[in-house]
Amino acid sequence: MDRHEITEIVTTAVVDGLGAEPDEVTPDATLLDDLSAESIDLLDILFRLERALKVKIQAAQLAEYVQGGIPDEEFGDADEIITEKGLAQLLRVMPQIDPDELRGTLKARRVMSLFTVDNLVDLVIHRMAVDAMEAGTPERAEVPA
Amino acid sequence: MTISGQVALVTGGSRGIGAAVCRRLARDGVAVAVNYRSSEGAAKSVVRDIEEHGGRAITVAGDVADAGEVGAMTEQVIRELGGLDILVNNAGVSQDALLYDMAMDAWLDVMRVNFGGVFHCTRAVLPHLMAKGAGAIVNVSSVMGERGWIGESNYAASKGAVNAFTRCAALEAARFGVRVNAVLPGFVPTDLVSALVEGDGGKSIRKQIPARRLGTTEEIADAVRFLAGPESSYMTGSLLTVDGGAAAVLGAGRP
Ligand SMILES: NC(=O)c1ccc[n+]([C@@H]2O[C@H](COP(=O)([O-])OP(=O)(O)OC[C@H]3O[C@@H](n4cnc5c(N)ncnc54)[C@H](OP(=O)(O)O)[C@@H]3O)[C@@H](O)[C@H]2O)c1
Repeated sequence: MDRHEITEIVTTAVVDGLGAEPDEVTPDATLLDDLSAESIDLLDILFRLERALKVKIQAAQLAEYVQGGIPDEEFGDADEIITEKGLAQLLRVMPQIDPDELRGTLKARRVMSLFTVDNLVDLVIHRMAVDAMEAGTPERAEVPA
Repeated sequence: MTISGQVALVTGGSRGIGAAVCRRLARDGVAVAVNYRSSEGAAKSVVRDIEEHGGRAITVAGDVADAGEVGAMTEQVIRELGGLDILVNNAGVSQDALLYDMAMDAWLDVMRVNFGGVFHCTRAVLPHLMAKGAGAIVNVSSVMGERGWIGESNYAASKGAVNAFTRCAALEAARFGVRVNAVLPGFVPTDLVSALVEGDGGKSIRKQIPARRLGTTEEIADAVRFLAGPESSYMTGSLLTVDGGAAAVLGAGRP
């Protein structure tokens, strides 16, 4: 399954999960801010992806994936502002962000609001690759560069 | 879509209303897991009865007040019956007393089973139903959750909690194709209410019910069967009263 097909399935899941208009759900639309997804909407989207792609992503894994295993105290400083190390990680999973604009101002709890439809596609591809590896079957989805 | 071929877990399926629900669902081709806490013999005889009528059933032991046991029980049903589509939260107890005399922990003992059981089982089963995008949960609550009765403050509160939970769970589950409803029985002669409905008490209660009689376990089971099946596909968050009109009465209902 290629990225294009996965993007289509993710877009459908987001449109159906949010009851959104298809033209609102663009790759660069952020789920929380632009599309106003609530936690139950995210859950709905993840279950739709599970049914469509047999890929299981827990809601809690979304934030874990974004934080990339960096402990909280290294991800944000005492005031919860994202550290350099944190920014470098965010840039890996959300390549669209501009670190210069966010440096010194981005709070940890605002991080998920930057997460876009395209970032979700990356996460799904990542999950599918991990699942395929764990199942020992030949890779069916490419890992994002 | 039909109900035949689906799998149901019925808590407290060994006796009373629960046993009638097990038989009723099995009659329509549902494979039934008959849960019990202590009445193993009774649960086994429900299973035997279902099998003799050509149905499929198993017994599953477990205290619904215990979250760990509920988790294990849910896995057992899915493993042994190959899935789970319907949950009937029926297990219930009462510990009637005047509030003035009631033991301090009498609220918690009843709450643990009546509401805790509904909570634990719903929490354990819901992810399976959500992953499939289909399913029905039916809570056997009580008209007591909506009305008052002397000596049942703890029981009524536990059923009021079930009713509130039914509405909220319905909201959260709806978009995943899962429906959550409740049946609110009136008076049905079972072990639970034997002290209340036998002898003169029963006579006096019957007089207060517009239908002039107690309900049968089968009548409650029919309502549960309706809410569990595709006939009620647009119903969720509903509290369905099955009480011969008892809760409709204002005061004595006459001068
Ligand atoms: N009968 C009525 O008039 C009436 C009216 C309104 C509502 N209801 C409700 O209908 C439901 C069934 O009542 P019923 O009249 O059929 O009562 P019942 O004849 O006393 O049967 C109760 C059932 O619940 C099971 N049970 C009790 N505690 C349990 C636990 N902790 N874990 C698992 N199973 C447990 C019992 O199994 P074991 O024997 O193995 O313990 C039994 O199968 C209850 O929720 C009750 O509140 C009844």
